[in-house]
Amino acid sequence: MPDTVQSHIALPVDVSAPRSRGADTARTLVRAGSLLAFVAVFVAFAVAAPGFLTAGNLANVVGQVAVIGVLALGMTLVVVGGGNDVVRGGIDLSVANTLGLCAAVYATVLGDGWGDGAALAATAVTGLLVGAVNAVSVVWLGILPLLATLAAMNICAGLELVLTHNTVVAASSPLLDVLAGEFPAGVPVLGEVLLGVAVLLAVVLHLTPAGLRLYAVGGHREAARAAGLPVAAFVAASYLGSGLCASVASVLSVALLSGSTTGSGDMLLAVVVTALLGVVFSRRLVATIPGTLLSALFIGLLINGFQLLNISSYWVNGVQGVLILLVVAATSMLRPHAR
Amino acid sequence: MTTQSPSGASPLALEMRDLVKDFAGVRALDHANLRVGRGSVHGLIGQNGAGKSTLIKLLAGIHAPDAGTIAVEGAVQSRLTPHRAEELGIHFIHQDRLLVPTFTVAESLFLGAEPRRFGLPWLNGAAMRRRAAAILRETFGVDLPAGALVGELSAAQQQLVQISRALLNRPKILVFDEPTAALVRREVDSLFGVIGRLRAQGITIVYISHYLHEIGEICDAVTVLRNGVDVGTVDPRTTPTADLVSMMVARDIHDMFPRRQRTAGPPVLSVTGLRAAGAFEDVSLTVRRGEIVGMTGLVGSGAKDVLRCVFGLQRPDAGRIEIDGAALRGRSPSAAVGGGLALVPEDRRGHGVALSLSVRENTTIASLDRFARGPLIDRSAERAEVDRLIRELAIKTPGREAAVRNLSGGNQQKVVLAKWLSRQSSLYLLDEPTVGVDVGAKVEIYRLIDELAGKGAGILVLSADLLELLGLCDRILVMYRGRIVHDGPAAATDSDSLLMQATGAGVAVHA
Repeated sequence: MPDTVQSHIALPVDVSAPRSRGADTARTLVRAGSLLAFVAVFVAFAVAAPGFLTAGNLANVVGQVAVIGVLALGMTLVVVGGGNDVVRGGIDLSVANTLGLCAAVYATVLGDGWGDGAALAATAVTGLLVGAVNAVSVVWLGILPLLATLAAMNICAGLELVLTHNTVVAASSPLLDVLAGEFPAGVPVLGEVLLGVAVLLAVVLHLTPAGLRLYAVGGHREAARAAGLPVAAFVAASYLGSGLCASVASVLSVALLSGSTTGSGDMLLAVVVTALLGVVFSRRLVATIPGTLLSALFIGLLINGFQLLNISSYWVNGVQGVLILLVVAATSMLRPHAR
Repeated sequence: MTTQSPSGASPLALEMRDLVKDFAGVRALDHANLRVGRGSVHGLIGQNGAGKSTLIKLLAGIHAPDAGTIAVEGAVQSRLTPHRAEELGIHFIHQDRLLVPTFTVAESLFLGAEPRRFGLPWLNGAAMRRRAAAILRETFGVDLPAGALVGELSAAQQQLVQISRALLNRPKILVFDEPTAALVRREVDSLFGVIGRLRAQGITIVYISHYLHEIGEICDAVTVLRNGVDVGTVDPRTTPTADLVSMMVARDIHDMFPRRQRTAGPPVLSVTGLRAAGAFEDVSLTVRRGEIVGMTGLVGSGAKDVLRCVFGLQRPDAGRIEIDGAALRGRSPSAAVGGGLALVPEDRRGHGVALSLSVRENTTIASLDRFARGPLIDRSAERAEVDRLIRELAIKTPGREAAVRNLSGGNQQKVVLAKWLSRQSSLYLLDEPTVGVDVGAKVEIYRLIDELAGKGAGILVLSADLLELLGLCDRILVMYRGRIVHDGPAAATDSDSLLMQATGAGVAVHA
């Protein structure tokens, strides 16, 4: 023992542990690999699937993708604001069924003789209401998003059945005719809408302080709070945004299918994959609007190619599941962590 | 001369008077005072649970005091909120860096006050990056790429980002809460340079630290808290460290450690030529029965990995591990437990207790077979053992059936310790056995460890608290960059030389 009593001398905790170059490289590889996979899938289908590389088919893909894409863009807002922790992070499982409900509302209101304006308003209100329910349960009741939105998903599915009695509600209107059409260049209007929504959200999310703050709320809630941000309002807004996107997507869906149809819930997995997959296209491994758009196209091409190759659509579900596993595993291992 | 300050002498930037704060019936602050002169660096020290963090939370407006007043620049602030504190120019550098890991340096600096284009809600990314780089260069002389992601920075760099963020708000009072906990010596020096510069600019600084030598280095005055009271404010440059320690502890530090004569028996653990690639090389050590061996080293020194290898949690690439002269059969934790080893992990709260179970259940969960009578459990033997441990460890609990959730943090830790101690093993591997435990509990844990050794168990303690090792152990090993660089009797060394060994001072300076 030293004679003189010394202070509470302790070793510093850590130190010179140099930040890993490895993680940097791995992230770059994941990003490059994803883009490569995108191209490879495209080329493979172009070679193997008859009719894949025709203008008509590709336009068709964009049209098909529009619905899932807009849903995934809404989901992206929630993932950004909630953080992409798979269990506790932001996720909105209700989007697909919200779309089902909104489509039913839209078709029913049109069927009751109202015009496009009233139908659109009713649809938007429906989507926002579902978003509000999610926001209340996640933000104010503190329920895990995974569970809260699962509940909302079932509420929507139930209400849709009440409204449609599990039947197809045919719908037609001037707006639907426009949406189902093509622009002069042969690009489906649905695709244009998808791009429009994406550009709008990209501007808000990537070019305004509000967007940056939403990322802070999702990236490190305590840091956001310490920066004086109204965290609850941001999270709530992300669910409202998701609900609104679902109502926009529902109108596209009605235009595509000439009415509301049952089974919208089947789209959920594709939407989740799309939103999560988009993460690999960003340097920071976070959800971004361009990333989601890219992965929506990727998933669309995948589904379309499988159809053309006469591979059972059941396989598509399997592939999507595998993609979720891969993406979640890769990103949770590689994302930069605070020390 | 101002009339605001009651003392009339030097004007005070901050005066906290007679603060009282209770949490669920427990008094965290008991008429505590803190008077900080304008433009000074004021240290705040105290053991865990002394009330430092409560005091700071009152200042931050996170909690409201039950009694007492807080005056900033002479004006009493009756309703302090986080927002109000910020308006008053009080800013905090937290120990846990509150930064978004996926943000760039520039984004982290300006989050919440982003530069905009033409006053529109439009991010001006270029201006953000330019200004961030300029601030970092001017204040700290460092060239951090403003586009680098925070998660990829070193702890020290993140600390700089955090400080720069606070400086953007032109603070009057800057509170550093354990700022050096994650920094290496060289980084600490540069942080002190920064603090000196901030002080020269007239910013008042409150500096909280566990490291007393830091207090002596940079503080103009230091207030010592103990049990929620300020026991004194002194000049750290003229006050011997020993005096500070006894103010904090209120007991002679020698009394904390049992000093029973121990006689070492035959080796219970002998490790020869152990190697794990990337973690450590050529590690040989012995622990004898009845002996307490301490091991220390910085994170990354490999000390923890050695412990993990011995317990079978990690697979060594080469070398031999013998327990009581025989090689372990199989290398897995269950083989280790079968061989009479017990590991008390560092993260006891995370891995150690089931909060909803009772003290009894938590204590005996890992050693139920000791109480087995046929297929049943001998409840009375179990109860007797639990009662004995509660008594010996002085676990403060309403009873053995009380849920662990209702115990204080320190007592929860004692329960976990009891769980492993009730196994009666021949070799105990203790990983930071007293981290986060108050002084009283520490003394009890030390006594218990000594008792185990007295009963003939071998003990290997891993700790970063050098005084703890010096007081407790017979022999101390120091690891540095994967090698044992020191192995000798505790009586023949002191904390300075251990610290030198552990930090590789004099060996080579690594960037």
